[in-house]
Amino acid sequence: MNTDLLTRRDFIKNVGILSGGGLVLSSFPFFQSNANEKNLIEGQKARLAIIGTGSRGLYHINHLLKIKHAEIVALCDIYQPHLDNAAALCPKAKQYKNYHEAIADKNVDGILIAAPLHEHAPITIAGLKAGKHVFCEKAMARTIEQCKEMYDVYKESGKVLYIGLQRLFDPKYLKAMELIHQGEIGEVVDIRNFWYRNNDWRRPVPEPSLEKQINWRLYRESSGGLMTELGAHQLQMGTWLYKSLPDYITGFGDIIFWKDGREVFDSVSVIYHYPNGLRMTFESIISNKHYGMDEQILGNKGTLELSQGLLYKEEPKPAPGIQQLINQIEHNIFDNVSFAGPSWVPETASTTKGEPILDHIKTHDGSNTTGAADDGSLELVSSFCTAVITGKSMPMLVEEAYYSSILALLGNKAMEEKRVLEFPQEYVIPYL
Amino acid sequence: MKDITITTKRQLTEIKIWIACFVFTFLLNLASIIIYKTEFKELYTQLLWVFILSIAIYGLLLVLRLLFALIKKTFFKKKG
Repeated sequence: MNTDLLTRRDFIKNVGILSGGGLVLSSFPFFQSNANEKNLIEGQKARLAIIGTGSRGLYHINHLLKIKHAEIVALCDIYQPHLDNAAALCPKAKQYKNYHEAIADKNVDGILIAAPLHEHAPITIAGLKAGKHVFCEKAMARTIEQCKEMYDVYKESGKVLYIGLQRLFDPKYLKAMELIHQGEIGEVVDIRNFWYRNNDWRRPVPEPSLEKQINWRLYRESSGGLMTELGAHQLQMGTWLYKSLPDYITGFGDIIFWKDGREVFDSVSVIYHYPNGLRMTFESIISNKHYGMDEQILGNKGTLELSQGLLYKEEPKPAPGIQQLINQIEHNIFDNVSFAGPSWVPETASTTKGEPILDHIKTHDGSNTTGAADDGSLELVSSFCTAVITGKSMPMLVEEAYYSSILALLGNKAMEEKRVLEFPQEYVIPYL
Repeated sequence: MKDITITTKRQLTEIKIWIACFVFTFLLNLASIIIYKTEFKELYTQLLWVFILSIAIYGLLLVLRLLFALIKKTFFKKKG
């Protein structure tokens, strides 16, 4: 079964913009991996090395095994149990413990990096300099300096670089962007991002010496915490939607609940202020999961909940006339006659049901720490494999990933220094 | 226990009454579309509501007619 082509066809059908969707076609990476590529890649395979075969690496391997034009030829991880798990899925792939050797393998056309954050930049840069195409998980790198270096090396190398921002390939996000551009929610006035979980984010450690290696997400040396692991996905909304950069960033972060020796915040709240007065917020707490995760785009005529794919109009469509008539008769008969109304009523949230923006919406609650199903990841990896064969970079993807990573890292900096930061102009790249 | 017999004539009369109720409710739907300025496609999308409402009105009429018949019967008995 050709999963890639079926997915693409279903995708276009679902989004419903096969024709007359010039705006979307010209704006989103998925559509720019053009239809002619089907012929170009016929019979060819992208030969890949997977560097980092932990849980996220296995998630990608499972996707790659479904993609006709992908072949996993090498596996690399310094932790033997992870390597063994991957080898069980890809028994023919060569195994490496040193990523330099995996990159140097002549059978490897491209590398897929699912290693801890602080390893992203060195491996990506080594891969690009060795002439390999690279897919690197988000966030781009541990520091803003590394992000810039990665971007510069990518531009100089002429090779393909993909960063794991699957929202750019998720039908409901693409449809939402189309609706926003069509003015369905009026003028955009705010972006609210939040991601709530209730777990300690820890992985079991077989022996104490492996603590920082396995639980790398909890230590500042190797992780940007909630900002880079979760926020980087959602902060992309700022550049994607506002098409500009924030001028000021501030926020607060603390360890409020999981006081178990971790160094990264378990509660963060960051505000990004844009030159035109708009703001984008990101809030994450991992000791309460009631509200789950979402990206909410607020407009003066409506609200979009992107992860649910729901549209709420400020003036919802009225009930059918006959129902309104019955309601009115009922109110006239049964309602009490009030002599004086209350002087204040709570402005609770609207109970209007949202309208799905697509026919078959696939959602997830954001609680899976490895990766959700049907979130665009398969399409993203498939597109990377196509790019490895054609050698054609995906416009917009690296730039969007660069800025989402920079925003996540600046959020961390603002929280750590407890001050309002100005966006550093030296990290502006030719985009937007 | 005595069997209650509903004659064919009575059945036809009841059907006619329900049809009248349905027509009335259908016109009520049309009127509410005009009054509340909603979409004319509600003439067919809201048929289930119209049907349910027509049954309710028919039921209400039935109760009223039974009550009227009971009073009438009692009144005539007393007079006789």
